[in-house]
Amino acid sequence: MRRFRGWLVRLAGMFRKEQSEAELAEELEGHAQMHVEENIRAGLSPEAARRDALMRLGGLEQAKERYRDQRSLPWLDALVQDLRFALRMLATRPGFTAIAILTLALGIGATTAVFSVVDRVLFRSLPYPHDDRLVSFGVRAPFEGIEFMLAPEYAVLRSQSTPFESMTSIMPGGTGCDITEENPVRLSCASVESTFLSTLGVRPIIGRDFVREDDRPNAPRVAFLSYGLWKSRFASDPSVAGKTLSLDGKPVQIIGVLPEEFEMPNLGAADMLLPQALDDSALDRKNPRVVLRAFARLKPGVTIEQAKAGLEPWFQESLRFVPPQFRAEVSLRVRSLRDRQIENSRVGAWVLFGAVIAVLMLACTNVANLMLARTVSRQRELAVRSALGASTVRLARQTLTESLLLALLGGIAGCGLAYLLLQAFIAIAPEGIVRLRQASLDFRVLRFGLAVSLLSGIIFGVTPALADAAPESLSGRSMGPAGRGFLRHVLVAGQIAGSLILLAGAGLLLRSLWQIQSIPLGLETQQVVTAQISLAEHRYPDTPKQIAFFRDVETRLERIPGVTYLALSDTLPPSGGMQETFYATIEVPGRQRPSEGTGGMVGWRMVTPNYFPALGIRMVRGRGFTDEDRAPAENPVILNEALADKMFPQEEPIGKQLRFFSFGTQGPWRTIVGVAADVKNNGLIAPADPEFYIPWKNDPQTYVRHAHVTFRTSFSPSAVVPWIRTEIAGLDPTVPVEFSTMQARVGKLMEQPRFDAILLSLFAGIGVVLAALGIYGVVSFFVTQRTQEIAVRMALGATPRRILGMTLLNLARWTLAGATLGLLGAWFCARLLQSLLFEVHVHDPILLTLSLLILLAVAFLAAWVPARRAARVDPMVALRYE
Amino acid sequence: MGDKADVWQGTLALMVLKTLESMGPLHGYGIARRIEQVSDDLLNVNYGTLYPALLKLEQEGYIDSEWGVSDNNRKAKYYKLTRAGRKQLAKEAREWQQATDILARFLTEPERTS
Repeated sequence: MRRFRGWLVRLAGMFRKEQSEAELAEELEGHAQMHVEENIRAGLSPEAARRDALMRLGGLEQAKERYRDQRSLPWLDALVQDLRFALRMLATRPGFTAIAILTLALGIGATTAVFSVVDRVLFRSLPYPHDDRLVSFGVRAPFEGIEFMLAPEYAVLRSQSTPFESMTSIMPGGTGCDITEENPVRLSCASVESTFLSTLGVRPIIGRDFVREDDRPNAPRVAFLSYGLWKSRFASDPSVAGKTLSLDGKPVQIIGVLPEEFEMPNLGAADMLLPQALDDSALDRKNPRVVLRAFARLKPGVTIEQAKAGLEPWFQESLRFVPPQFRAEVSLRVRSLRDRQIENSRVGAWVLFGAVIAVLMLACTNVANLMLARTVSRQRELAVRSALGASTVRLARQTLTESLLLALLGGIAGCGLAYLLLQAFIAIAPEGIVRLRQASLDFRVLRFGLAVSLLSGIIFGVTPALADAAPESLSGRSMGPAGRGFLRHVLVAGQIAGSLILLAGAGLLLRSLWQIQSIPLGLETQQVVTAQISLAEHRYPDTPKQIAFFRDVETRLERIPGVTYLALSDTLPPSGGMQETFYATIEVPGRQRPSEGTGGMVGWRMVTPNYFPALGIRMVRGRGFTDEDRAPAENPVILNEALADKMFPQEEPIGKQLRFFSFGTQGPWRTIVGVAADVKNNGLIAPADPEFYIPWKNDPQTYVRHAHVTFRTSFSPSAVVPWIRTEIAGLDPTVPVEFSTMQARVGKLMEQPRFDAILLSLFAGIGVVLAALGIYGVVSFFVTQRTQEIAVRMALGATPRRILGMTLLNLARWTLAGATLGLLGAWFCARLLQSLLFEVHVHDPILLTLSLLILLAVAFLAAWVPARRAARVDPMVALRYE
Repeated sequence: MGDKADVWQGTLALMVLKTLESMGPLHGYGIARRIEQVSDDLLNVNYGTLYPALLKLEQEGYIDSEWGVSDNNRKAKYYKLTRAGRKQLAKEAREWQQATDILARFLTEPERTS
């Protein structure tokens, strides 16, 4: 407390110096006088008395100095002085200051923004306690990217001893569900096993956890609310547990509320959690129908490898139920939950991270280079100050203050830039990037970026400044030590190498984006409007009502002018989500159906006859559907090429028969009438899946709550939309309709590669700008340093052209060295991009050459401007100046 | 003069406080002389150490200063103890006493043979 008071007084002491200085002088003088007087009283002569006093009291000035130090805060005093001086220095060199701040801002800003995103994906912990022990496990098969479990196999495993502390499972994908009471609303419901919350370690904020009994098939239905739903629909009612809700027309009791930060382990949407309540038929090992996603918490100390080994006996046993021909393709997979979540963003995130580190390095080299150049130009000033008695520490502090001030200004600018960049990222990012929307500026990174650039500034600015501050350097008219020039050139070469790597990487991604955009989709996207219609179960509870609605939709919409083709289908490419069946369950007469296993997934759609012409899907063989095919007695089917090749590799498929299990029953025998061209269904890059089509019949056996209406129109799509809306509203104004165009649907799939390409291009751009700034800085410094030499040469007869050549040649060597290094680097780094590329060779020579040319052109330009200045040196002026 | 010890930094503050307590308000020279006398001229207080110490004590609020006139009609700054200073003196004196007691016990402990 007392000490603090002392500090305050000292701080105040900085402001009333003159007065206290006078008082001190008076007080000390009085002290000395008293001493002298006493000495005289003791019998000394006045001279001896005075001499004795001064000897005993010590130096007057030193005493004053120590007093001053105690009076105020000397270091703060010096700091203020340093800061003033630093500001003046920066203001006198606006060019240098601007370049340095810009460099720092770019480096720090870009690094911070990107790291803020990447950190969420790669490093942040998941919102579960001890998330490092959570794993996703299951069987991996070629037809499914993510590991899964067949429900009966899961049940078998659950009854055995496992390396897990606990395990749980969920149904893949959230399903739509409707609250069917006042204010009906469509929600997303997730079906989970009763061990779900306890395995993840999630504690409900209200209510009890699920219990085993909730999982019984006939148990009373219970549900958890998400925090959002609890807040919006129940106004955060603390006594919500125990209330009953009508869900899809059936009562459900609310048993609790999930915490706000809760998220599904598969990152799916979930407004409500319901128990799976699997019945015995789902657990029949011979006829697996239900697929689960399984998660588990490892026992403490158990590694993922150990867990995998522990599951091996079970896996081998369950392999017996897989058809022999598929056994080789099926494997067991156990991986951390984090790995599963970031699967798709992982490579992209690392590439981004690498690019950002490269940009930061470029920025640092630039700062280092600038500092070096400036130090040399200030050599004299520092030497003069040193000769006048400034201590090394004082000079170091002065240079340090300048570096810090620069870093601070750059950091502030970088902060702003980082904020803008992050907003931009979020705006252009595709859906798939995990947790991007929660990303916020990361101040640890900001500090890191600031620290690195600062450090480079200090190492390259302060250290050489002090080495040169020796007064001896005043005497010689040195051109600056040769070694320093070498270092600067090495830095430039490094910059060129770094930006060439970035440029080559960006080129690869852009080329890949180009390739993706020109992929044949198998359908025509121009002039196609789609409308998605979902019928709420409580308004259309039974199939006849649903069918009647869609029949009316079809007849009404056909009256709309400008519609060339109108088609109805239950699902629509290109974003997946269609109905699927196991290949093994499709029966072909005369063939032995494999009695066990799945054989992969086959997708299918219900479509009206105009589906193929509306989407421009070509028929490869046979015919499309006709209106006659919709008659109850007709059962045709159309395969896509992929399925036809898989099912009838050497045979003519037309006329063959098949039947499959659908809507819970074995379907009728169907005759193959045609083979349609493949259509991209699951993203653009994935190969076409086997698929077949059956006609959309107004048949009460089917189940159609969701449908897509597809229009090919000769009018502008935006003109047709209001007409369609009016027609559907005329049938039932409460039915939600979501319009889109086929082009927009396809465009969505392009978002991820576009995002990657834009970001890397941005970094490549920044990298090139930084390299250009660096080259410009070095060459113009070279010119300033050698003005005298150039003048002498010109006076002796060198032509401006020769001077220009000499300046450029000096740089050319280092540029070429950097470019060679860059080419080598790009060659190796390209491999890392492989998984992001589509039909682009990682070592595309044209791209590499192009990047090289761009960089060399920029380097030449950046060198040209100051080199021209060298060529224009007026020898008389320059020599007189020196 | 060479055999005279300079005062330790920490103990000077304590000596100043004690001097002001026993002598009442006093100017810098008086304080210095008094400390030298009490130490039988074994200590040498130069003003390079004395005045910063006085300033520090004043900044911390243990002493107060005021311009006055000395015995021989010289203008001088007089220092006097504040209440906080009195408390601080008691506290520091106690601590100092303790420290010296402990040290004394160590130094006087008879050597053991085992």
